[in-house]
Amino acid sequence: MGKQARTTARQQRVARAAARRRAKRTRILAAGGGVVILGLLVAIVITLVNAAGGGSRTDADAPTTLVAPAGATAAGAIPVGDPAAPVKLEVYLDYMCPFCGRFDRANADQLNRLVADGTVRLEIYPLSFLDKTSNGTRYSTRAANAAATVADRAPDKVLAFTQALFAQQPHEGSDGLTNDQIANVAHGAGVPQDVINTFVDRTFEPWIAKLTETAFASGITGTPTVKINGTVFKGDLYTAGPLTDAITAAKGQ
Amino acid sequence: MAELLTRVRGLRHANAWIYGTMLVSASLSLIASFVLSIDAVRLAANPQTTLSCNINSVLSCGTVASSWQASLLGFPNAFLGLVAEPVVITVAVASLGGVRFPRWFMFTAQVVYTIGVIFAYWLFYQSMFHIGALCPWCLLVTVSTTLVFATLTHVNIRDGNLPLPPRMQSALKNAVDADLDAIAVTIWLLALTLAVVSKYGTTLFG
Repeated sequence: MGKQARTTARQQRVARAAARRRAKRTRILAAGGGVVILGLLVAIVITLVNAAGGGSRTDADAPTTLVAPAGATAAGAIPVGDPAAPVKLEVYLDYMCPFCGRFDRANADQLNRLVADGTVRLEIYPLSFLDKTSNGTRYSTRAANAAATVADRAPDKVLAFTQALFAQQPHEGSDGLTNDQIANVAHGAGVPQDVINTFVDRTFEPWIAKLTETAFASGITGTPTVKINGTVFKGDLYTAGPLTDAITAAKGQ
Repeated sequence: MAELLTRVRGLRHANAWIYGTMLVSASLSLIASFVLSIDAVRLAANPQTTLSCNINSVLSCGTVASSWQASLLGFPNAFLGLVAEPVVITVAVASLGGVRFPRWFMFTAQVVYTIGVIFAYWLFYQSMFHIGALCPWCLLVTVSTTLVFATLTHVNIRDGNLPLPPRMQSALKNAVDADLDAIAVTIWLLALTLAVVSKYGTTLFG
């Protein structure tokens, strides 16, 4: 065999070896990728099964008897202020609804004044349809139950408590406030401790579920919805002024 | 079986499959951009009606659309999709029809679309961790943008359109020939799915 031929043969061997190494590396990468894909698929299935199970979990501790807070209206509202006030202002809200928070922060001062001077009787419908936006912690229901508990046993604090909840409103899609945080908010709003201690009894949760159902059945499509003497207010809910003007106009009629 | 696998792999590297996928993905992206643009215009025209939590809005209260991140450049982000996706669609259709674009053109497309993908993922990150609301149309944009990016990269590596050092080009070409890119994209999309279901699983089923 000549020198030339030997060189060519060696080059071919080297090239074949390199190709084999490359193919091996590729196989290892592909196999590794396959393992990662399998792992991800398993993780996705487990997460989905957990989420589905969490959603339909049977809740052994939940009370089943329907109890309405003292003073609640037949339609399922928590009343605040003088029953004989000339203007009835109904507010449908969900404590998780970011726009309800904006509405409340814009109008709280005016509403406090109008309730205090006997112009407005406020009727609050605390809905729970945004439970699905608090990662399974049902913040809407927990907050609404707390509000109903306050309405039941410390009705003069319910407006302050509602406004305090909105002042510290959690982000939509977060876990919401914990029960302890809700208790702190209530404490800050002046709710007596013995009332706060009964939040965890979840007494009014069936009532909240019922009123949510009733509200949507009656044609409410979202929150916040505000009605002045039974008519939906269509003006600007997010700046102070327009609502007050509409209330003043309604009072004059 | 082995023959079938070879044929499938051959098909995957063929223009029809690559540009077909690009066309479908870009079209989905365009549709999503359309829906989001219309929403944005409606929101601007009448903030009152859209600024509420609707019983029918399954996943969120529209907080995504009204966040500052949704109009980073001073106008709704979806407008960018309206501008960019038709170009991608044109490129895909022309290529399916046999047109071959010059290298500089495909390279520019790669650069611009890479910026687009980065932007799409920044938005995804923002909506997941800062806005905290899920937006199904935005998610469709994220997925289809990923697919357009993957197909564009695939074709540019296959055809050597990118100004890369020869060693890197040949390494990437080998990886694409061995379908490692398909594995990478699958992992990418599955990771995205896992992120979404672990964050929003309870929302989807609650």
